[in-house]
Formats: sequence, structure tokens, C-alpha cells
Amino acid sequence: MVLAGERLLAVTGALGELLPGGGIPRGAVVAVTGAAGVTTTGLSLAAAATTAGEWAVAVDDGTLGGLAALESGIVPDRFAVVRRVPPARWATVVAALLDGVSCVLAAPPGALRHGDARRLVARVRERDAVLIVSGAWPVEAALRVTVEGTEWSGPGSDGSGWLEGAARTVRVDGRAAHGATGRIAS
Amino acid sequence: MSGPGIPARSEQSHGYRTLTLWCPDWPVMAWRRLHPARADGPVAIVERADRGLVVRSASAEARAEGVRPGLRRREAEARCPGLVVAEADLAGEAVAFEAVARAIEEITPRLELRRPGRLAFPTRGPSRYFGGDRSLAVAVLDAVTATGIPNARAGVADGGFASWLAARRADPGGVCVIEPGTTTEFVAEWPVAALGDPELARLLVRLGLRTLGAFAELSEGAVLARFGPPGVRALRRARGLDDTAPVLTVPPPELAETHEFDPPADRVDVVAFTAKAMADRLLDALADRGLACTRVVIEAETEHDERLARCWRHEGALTPLALATRVHWQLEGWLAHGPFSSETSSSEHGPDDRVTGDWVTGGLTVLRLVPDEVTPATGRQLGFWGGDAAATERAARTLVRVQAMLGPDAVVRAVATGGRTPDERIRWLPWGERDLADEDPAPWPGRVPGPAPARVHVPPLPAALLDADGQAIVVSGRGTASAAPASLRSAAATGAITAFAGPWPHDLRWWDRLTRRRRALWQVVVDDDRGAVACLVSVESGNARVDAVYD
Repeated sequence: MVLAGERLLAVTGALGELLPGGGIPRGAVVAVTGAAGVTTTGLSLAAAATTAGEWAVAVDDGTLGGLAALESGIVPDRFAVVRRVPPARWATVVAALLDGVSCVLAAPPGALRHGDARRLVARVRERDAVLIVSGAWPVEAALRVTVEGTEWSGPGSDGSGWLEGAARTVRVDGRAAHGATGRIAS
Repeated sequence: MSGPGIPARSEQSHGYRTLTLWCPDWPVMAWRRLHPARADGPVAIVERADRGLVVRSASAEARAEGVRPGLRRREAEARCPGLVVAEADLAGEAVAFEAVARAIEEITPRLELRRPGRLAFPTRGPSRYFGGDRSLAVAVLDAVTATGIPNARAGVADGGFASWLAARRADPGGVCVIEPGTTTEFVAEWPVAALGDPELARLLVRLGLRTLGAFAELSEGAVLARFGPPGVRALRRARGLDDTAPVLTVPPPELAETHEFDPPADRVDVVAFTAKAMADRLLDALADRGLACTRVVIEAETEHDERLARCWRHEGALTPLALATRVHWQLEGWLAHGPFSSETSSSEHGPDDRVTGDWVTGGLTVLRLVPDEVTPATGRQLGFWGGDAAATERAARTLVRVQAMLGPDAVVRAVATGGRTPDERIRWLPWGERDLADEDPAPWPGRVPGPAPARVHVPPLPAALLDADGQAIVVSGRGTASAAPASLRSAAATGAITAFAGPWPHDLRWWDRLTRRRRALWQVVVDDDRGAVACLVSVESGNARVDAVYD
């Protein structure tokens, strides 16, 4: 039973300000696409679930940076990663995870069937969970977050300094979002 | 808390008098039983973890030299020259403890096993028979020594927790009896870490409460408000009182999970796999009724009509993983010798080394899990740090299910550790494994600065790092680069480099000719067709690689 006030998973920071209501609605699929920065944005969104005291699980091909996950605000005690998922079983595994955790972060395989995708949308709605997909999502998504560009600051022209922060231009589209764009600094 | 069917519990009731038998460093003891020549001297039992071989248990002599659980094997050998290292043998440990359990069964049938190396039982009947608690404890230790395990300890006190502390207080091979009525004073002097909950202990120490006595002085209402029912149970233990949750009526028999094996199963891993599913179903059924299980009886029948049963108790409620683990231990104990052994049972020992007396002569035909003691499930309750205990329980069950689908290594959690590069600074621990190492990730000199990259490639992606003339960048022995990087070609990003930082030379293990690695790292921002992509690039032995992408 979720109270009306808890229908949104609040996302902190500049990214949260771009989202309608300041967070991700439960029972929704969020598609994150774009150039570089998709993974970090996905992690920041997934962190919303863990700060609310719930669980987030990432389905990954094994290259997810664990340290980046921890730095994005994800609480390590409520986060796990599922690796080595054969593409043919991706939908089954994600469906199984949606049964038990509030937020699943995953990159759909190229050959994902529309029927499987629609079934996942239905399951997400029925479980009041959140599915964050990074990459091409063939069916409808309640929110579409697009990373349009990144500017890095830090390194000098002679190799001095180091990568200090990225300013990403992010656009949010969705039923209540109307193409809000903003710059997210990190 | 009282109501129909729930017996009211006196506020000050002490637990019934219990004897706890404890064989410290059980993996070492079990191994020594098979290698009597090594009865003393430093020994460490190691197990395979994601970092290589890690110490699981160490003998007293090894611990005196600084060997601790969680150390890597090489570190342990460095701290203790002459250390004998052996690989963990789960089957051997379970078999050896089954032998101990059987020996104690001669004294009393009402055993409760906690884990291999620790069991307890109520002393009322046996104590009268042996003429007192001390004589009973001595008889128990004699029985254990007869199975080939030296230096076990026995503690007798009011209640399970106090008797466990008494066993720890006892000398090796000795007995510690806490007289009735003195339990509270005895428990009060122990540090809060003795509760077995490191998170709670850390918090209590920060609050200035270092001993159980100090903790015991808090009011039950305050503890309940802050920590919930688990905190109150810990408080009762600290006061030397009965800590078992109120017991409902005997759980209805239809809750037991039974599985029949046809043909009879003779391999531990086959039965254990089925047992995992049974554990899941059993705890789900109990949870649906709002119940949690703290004690379970594992029963089995073989094709020759032998019947086996063993009772296991768990601290707090059993989770599916804890229950499946205990069933696995018990199956190893029953099946891992005779003609049917699991793969891990030691094959280098001849038949003379084995325990005398075959306990099963056939395969298992029936496995039954019977919830023996159930308590009201605590329901939606906040954990110590504001998490949702019910959500964690549900998530844990789901992750175990996914592990069953994909394999135990497929579900991992991230643990921060020490290191210089992004891949070194995270350990991936399979779900369900304890994090033995208590590594404090303090900053390392030479650490790659800046935010952590979201994609870390292990093994790194091949790449070409070129200077303005299109020549590959090389790094001298001193760490100076031949030129400034101007372009990168790789699967992660290809294009001109618009900004870079480095080179940062890393000279790893410079003291070891064989494993020395010298490389230089750069952070580069590449103007790819997708936009600006930042990568972590390394050059080693003339080869350039993309180690990570700041995605």
C-alpha cells in the first residue's frame, strides 16, 4: 500500500528539478538515451529508490562502474548488480526482479521483442515499481530523458589538472514534462 | 504483547538453563581431526573468494601472529612464517560436527544446532541425571573429546545468550557454570560487541554505552521506539533475560515442506538445490500467515528406511538463504561419506581417516523441512538506518531466485576497497557472501582523481593513442610521454582529443621482478561523433588501452 504522497520517487539535485513533480512516478518506465552520460544519469535516477529506503538493482553487461554507482548517491546496502544475463532471458530476469525490488536499471538487448517490452510495462505498472532503461526502448515510456551534450572541465591544455566535473545538457520529455531542458553539473 | 493463544511472558523471566557447547575455529578443528599430526602450530583454513584465497578461520597460534579471517593468503603467510594453509572443506566440517552432534545425542535428544561448531540444549533433565550442571558439562566435553575434537568449551547459564557467553568465558577444554540468579551480573560486564550485531554495537559505542550493563539500563520503551523489536530483544539479552520471542501454538503440520526423491538422491548438490526451493516456499507460506521461523527441524528418510532428524536454531528469523545454508550443512553431514560423497569431500584421505559408522546406507527418498518454532513476523519495520526491513527481505528473496536462474556469481554487490584505479577500488561480492574483510577505504597515494567513471572495462578495450603526427604515444621508463596525446581510436570513442590530463605514471609492485607493471594513465576528452566523451586511457609496454569511460 503506497500513500498518495509517495507516488513519486524524489530525485535530488538539478536532475530532479527537471522532472515533473521533482521525481519519477511509480509504475513508470523511464527511457534514458543520448550520447555520453547515459549511465551516470541512469544511476542518479536509480539512487532515488535507495534513498527512499527501497531497493534498486542494475542488470548489466559487467562494465558498470561500481564506484560511480556509489558516488551517484546509491546506498550500497540496497543495491545489487545482476551480470551475465543471456539476451534471450533478459525480459524474464527483469520481470523477476520487478517482483521484489522497487527499481530496476537495465539496458535492453537489441533484439527485444515488442511483446516482451509491453509485458514489462504492464508488470511495472502492476507492481508500482520503476524500470529505467538505457538505450532503445521500442514501446511507450512515461518519461524520456535524453542526454544531449556534455562539457568537461578540469584538464588544462598541457596535461595539468584532472577531470573535475561534467556539465550535461539533459532534456526530459513525457506526459507532464513538455521538453524541459537543463544543465546538470556534477 | 499478549492475546488469545499467545502465552504472556513475565517481564523478568530468565531463559531456561541452557548448556552451550562451543568448538572455536571449527574449520581448523575439523581439519585437525583428519590431520592429527598438526594438532598444534599455526594453521589457517582458506576459501576461494573473488580476491583469491582468503583466510576463513585460523588456529589460536596463527591468530597470535596476527592472522585474521578476511586476510588474503599471501598476507597471512607473510605475517606468520611457517603457517600451514589448507583449503576449506565444507563437507568435512559438516561430517565432523554431525559426529559431535551424535555424541551429544547420547546425553540428550533435544539438541539445537546453531552452526558447525556451536550447539545448545536445555539442561534440566540431563543435569539431574548427571548430578549437577558442572558434571553434565564435563560429561559433554568428554563425549566431544572422544570424537577427536580437543579444546571444546561448555558454558551453562540461564538462557541461550548467557550460556553462549559462558562458553566463551570458559578455558579451552573447560567448563564455565554461571550460578542461577547471577546471570544478569555476568552478562553486564561484557562489551556491546558480544551481542553479535556490529551495526548496533558501533552505534551504542558512539552513544557512550560500551558494556552490556550500560545498555541494559536504557528503558525498554526508548529502545523499542529507536530500534524496534530487534532492539528490544538485544536489550533483554543484555539484561540476562529470556530473549526468545513469544512462542505461538505449535505450527500446524501442513506447513512442513516435503519432497520425495524418485530415484533416491545420493548427491548433496542435487538435494541442496531442491532444498533451496523448498526453503523459499516454506518461508513464503509462513510469511503469508504473518509468521517467521526461528527453529527448524530437518528430516530425511533413506531408501533403507533410516530416519534422520536434526534441529537447527537461528539468531532472529530464518531467511531463505540462512535456511538453505543450514539444510546444505546438514546434508553434507549426512551424505558426505559412505558411498555417496559430494565433489568437495576430501579424496586424499584414505578410508581409515573417515569417521567410523556409516549413517546412511542408501540415497535419500524424502526430505522434509518442519518449522519447529515460529514467531510473529515483525512486518514492516524500519531498520537501524531508516531502511525498510520488509523491502530488504523481499529483495533478498528475489535476488536469491535470480541467482538460482543464472548462477551465484551473476548477482553481486559492490564493496568499496582500497586501490588506485576505478577497477581496483571496487570488489564485487556475490550475493549472500559475507564480507569478511573490514577494509577501510582510506585514500591511496596515486589514486586517479576526479569523479568515478560509470563504465569500467575489465579487460580494458584495445585502443590507439596517437600524437599530432599520428604516431603512437610511448612512455619512457621515467614516466615521460613521447608527445602530447592528440587523438584516440577505440571502440569506446574515436576522434580528436580536445583536453587531456596526465601522464600519471603507475609503478606497481616495483619490488617484484615477475609481477612488476609500469604504465601511464591519462584522462582524455575525445570529440567523438556522439559528442564529448571522456575516457581513462593507459599505455603499458607500448600498448594503449581504454580502461574506463566516463559515461
